[in-house]
Amino acid sequence: MSTYAPRHAPSAFSTPASTTLFRRLTWEGTVPLEIRVASAELPANSDRGLECYYIQAARVSYLPLLVPEIKRFLSDVVFDEAAAQGIKEEDWWFESEDGAVFRWHWPIGLIYDNHTITMSTRPNTSAAPSGPLRLILHLASPPSEKLLLSPGSEACKQAFMGQLKEADFIRWGNTKRITGLRKAEQDGLWEGIKEHNFDEYWRVASKVTPTTSPARSQSPPPPSSVSMHTRPPSADPGSNGAPDRDGAYSVRSVPVRIYLPDGPVMQDLVPPLLEDGSINTLSRFLDTHLPLLFPADRAPLAYALIQGVLAPPEAEMAWLGACLAGADGWVNICVGLLREGIPRF
Amino acid sequence: MALTAGAPESHSRPLPSVWTSADAAGTMQEALEALDTYKKKDLTKVVVRFKAVGNAPIMKQNFYKISASNRFQAVIQFLRKELGWKAGDPLFTYINLAFSPAPDDTVANLFKSFSTDGHLIVNYSTTAAWG
Repeated sequence: MSTYAPRHAPSAFSTPASTTLFRRLTWEGTVPLEIRVASAELPANSDRGLECYYIQAARVSYLPLLVPEIKRFLSDVVFDEAAAQGIKEEDWWFESEDGAVFRWHWPIGLIYDNHTITMSTRPNTSAAPSGPLRLILHLASPPSEKLLLSPGSEACKQAFMGQLKEADFIRWGNTKRITGLRKAEQDGLWEGIKEHNFDEYWRVASKVTPTTSPARSQSPPPPSSVSMHTRPPSADPGSNGAPDRDGAYSVRSVPVRIYLPDGPVMQDLVPPLLEDGSINTLSRFLDTHLPLLFPADRAPLAYALIQGVLAPPEAEMAWLGACLAGADGWVNICVGLLREGIPRF
Repeated sequence: MALTAGAPESHSRPLPSVWTSADAAGTMQEALEALDTYKKKDLTKVVVRFKAVGNAPIMKQNFYKISASNRFQAVIQFLRKELGWKAGDPLFTYINLAFSPAPDDTVANLFKSFSTDGHLIVNYSTTAAWG
């Protein structure tokens, strides 16, 4: 773990070290992608055999942000000069091997995890993907009604800001925290993603993202302690007694979406504490929303991936919101099916 | 350390025992049936209330019952049609005067999280209103 020690003093944001650690782990997560130009669309005189581009992409990034890099590669290596000049990246779009359109506005980590869980339902695939996710790059005729968003990083940025505000609204019932940011700060969030700069992003994001209280730095708790978590953290001995109004356990709801193989996407209010005052955990959340896959009285039929990690059932929803949310503020839970006992990753 | 975020995805690693199923062989079919249940379209309808912002034209009727399974994209298209908007005419849509949802969000999801007094309030504007 030592290699992942936070390099910057968390005190600058008054964010506990453990929270900063998990935020950095989330930020530094990457997924392998193989991007292949649709062979029928390769321009004449292209150097065939090289039309594949491999990249280890940041989970918190977006496909439009990869386009300039891919374009540079294709222009330098694959296309001849005439073809390179004729490239119009506004016409580009990405598709999966089985013909599903990759959305511009989904974080890349979500695209990858969603593919993983989709594969978990296919009887003829031997295991969950172990290699890169294959994307087919089309150079023409974008199906705009399926892509839903204009191409380019500006439209993606608008969609990202929309998601941030929606997350803010979910947490607090208003978007004052985001709209209270100066324009330069709002732009800094997107720049941080574009440049993959953790500090630039979190300098601003820490003003809008709730944190876990320093007194509760032992997140997630050991499984045996679940039954002890029946009081809000502010009542824990060791905290100073004042409820943390901006804390992760004080939000109205945690921004969470559940992704099931081949859809649907489910979203509901997810309070950090349940009505009886006990802490809302991943297993209670899944028992409630997907009882057929996570029955309360026996072994689950499915597993939950968050940021590519098999999330432990005792993880607290508020903690997930503070530490494992994507850059857009959302905790994306991808649910895949368990098969033949132990699926391999 | 239960969590291993940032670990290379390509590593083969077993699931934590707590997620593994005791009787996996017989469960796949049950799991697929469960997925089918969750995939069933939500046939309920919810009330969407449109509210003009700024210079946007006001609609004569502004309450509509819309199938919860619709995507927000369908709501935008419906609104454009009602307003007689041509392709390319600018239209910005917001929930609760606060944010633009993703076009693939469903009406059901938005209603569950953001409805007010049994309505999902959709504001529309001809200029970008809330950045």
